[in-house]
Amino acid sequence: MRSEDILKTVEMIQKENLDVRAVTMGISLLDCHRADAKQTSQAIIEKITRHAGKLVQTCEQISSEYAVPVVNKRISVTPIAHVGAGFDAAGFIHIAHALDEAATLVGIDILGGYSADVANGVTSGDTELINSIPEALSTTQKICSSVNVGSTRAGINMDAVARLGQVIKELSERSAGSGGFAAAKFVVFTNQPGDNPFMAGAIHGLDQHEVVINVGVSGPGVIARALERRIANDGAENLGLHDLAEEIKETAFRVTRCGELIGRRVAAELKIPFGVVDLSLAPTPNVGDSVGEIMMILGMDAIGAPGTTAIVAMLNDAVKKGGAFASQSVGGLSGAFIPVCEDRYLADAVRNGSLGLEKLEAMTSVCSVGLDMIAIPGSVDAATISAIIADEMAIGMINGKTTAVRLIPVPGKEAGEFVAFGGLFGESTIAPVRSVGKSGRFIAFGGKIPAPIHSLKN
Amino acid sequence: MSTQSIEYIISITSQDRIGIVYEISSALAELAGNIADSRQSVMCGYYTMILRASFPEAVTRKMIEAKLAEVDQKSSTPLNILVNSIDGPLTSSDNLENRYVLTASGADQIGFVARVAGFCVKHQINILDLSTTLSHGEFVMMLEVDLSRCTSINGVRTALVDFGRENHLRVVLQHHDIFKAVNEISLPIRPKREQ
Repeated sequence: MRSEDILKTVEMIQKENLDVRAVTMGISLLDCHRADAKQTSQAIIEKITRHAGKLVQTCEQISSEYAVPVVNKRISVTPIAHVGAGFDAAGFIHIAHALDEAATLVGIDILGGYSADVANGVTSGDTELINSIPEALSTTQKICSSVNVGSTRAGINMDAVARLGQVIKELSERSAGSGGFAAAKFVVFTNQPGDNPFMAGAIHGLDQHEVVINVGVSGPGVIARALERRIANDGAENLGLHDLAEEIKETAFRVTRCGELIGRRVAAELKIPFGVVDLSLAPTPNVGDSVGEIMMILGMDAIGAPGTTAIVAMLNDAVKKGGAFASQSVGGLSGAFIPVCEDRYLADAVRNGSLGLEKLEAMTSVCSVGLDMIAIPGSVDAATISAIIADEMAIGMINGKTTAVRLIPVPGKEAGEFVAFGGLFGESTIAPVRSVGKSGRFIAFGGKIPAPIHSLKN
Repeated sequence: MSTQSIEYIISITSQDRIGIVYEISSALAELAGNIADSRQSVMCGYYTMILRASFPEAVTRKMIEAKLAEVDQKSSTPLNILVNSIDGPLTSSDNLENRYVLTASGADQIGFVARVAGFCVKHQINILDLSTTLSHGEFVMMLEVDLSRCTSINGVRTALVDFGRENHLRVVLQHHDIFKAVNEISLPIRPKREQ
């Protein structure tokens, strides 16, 4: 083995924030439905603790063998609307508390799957689950929730979109003491994947194994440093964007390989199938771990200025190309994330006004995964939030990709004020929302935006 | 080749110049020696080679030494040559299960290598490969090591933390597979390991 390869690898891990962002165990809970919510909850706790009892310990053991940190150990479960179908909202809340208890018992960071898919229509179970979300998320610690409201095949369920605008408002108001933090644990999707290891949108889809290990890699810091080195060595005047795309691709290969190796080892130790590596570039609020920083290195003096969307498109594509070759099976969201609060450079760009909701929306049409972790004024009405969701869902539906919305209306605060959620959830200035209150008539129509035509592509 | 053959380890050091490999390998071929494995390296213009070769039973160690001495006499640079017969079975360093990479970095100081090597001796760690370099003004030592004789890898890890602290070094112990995974095309996944 060449000593420069050894040195480069050690530096990626020690100095450039290379880690495995999430090892997520997907567990099917379809067989846990019982006569009542109490018994169902017991069955859920029993099943989760049986399968995930050694998850954290195994991740730590393998992480130490390679000296590569596994930052989060998580669980995703069958969308609970299926598991609890037939129970009322109170029954669902009982299940939410059981999930929280199970998550604590096995020592994981977070559990996703308090979820429903209503793209085509709403069942009674879906309705009860959605009604229970505000209380469920504001009375639990580790539970994340998501609702899929649209798909390229089904269109967008606008009744659900209208309702979820109210749910987000309620989540924020119930957690006013923590800046509306409960809303950060809830995300609305179009084309939601069933193998995504990232939160808040992780679910264990109905087409999955009984139990599976999925892995989310990280590494914006590694890519930023590789680009800086390349530019310093060769000189910016001697490099084209294609050279930089190639550098990203090679680095993405290395980053993905870490996830692939660790994920497959964890799965093998636990004797369960390995699912996918999610190739997403996931930033953290830590210095040197930012997707926005990569945009600056690639030539933007202000994130959000013209050119930002093109850069994100190139970055996203290069990451996929490098990662796809590094992994046996790729899935989940797989793209560059732009979660504002969780990315120091993006949060700065929102603070100084160069980056706004509209540009973020444009960027999400070429990257993963949507309007993510954006703090907005608490005064924005539910219908306007629903309309923002509808716009983002339309991008996903028409382009056949996953899009999502995770907005946090911060109670009592207006645009330009500051909110901090702590830890990996980060902090940000509250982004202005333009033309508030002008979308009410559109949202009031409800019904459905029909599925798009699949020819005449323009 | 006859079925009966004897294996030798031959090492050569010299100032580097064109033709050393040719002269040595030709001399060995004249004695019907078959080169099975070899490594060479050049550092600051100084050449070193180690090779494993097998010879028919009739060729003695003295004959090989005499042949190589002829090469030395004709050589424009003096060659330091050592010939050793291999006694006992060949030991292989193919134990990939327990192969780790230990990197130690810190200020360049007298006794750096000795201290790290001393740690390895104390914990029954066999060094398979060693290289050192300067990186960002720090001295970096990279060792490929075999931990199969250690009683507890976790014990080594704990001891390593103390060792690093006491000697003001950053030391990292990582399984060899992670380096293969990020630098090579194929992923090093093997059947489940014994714990």
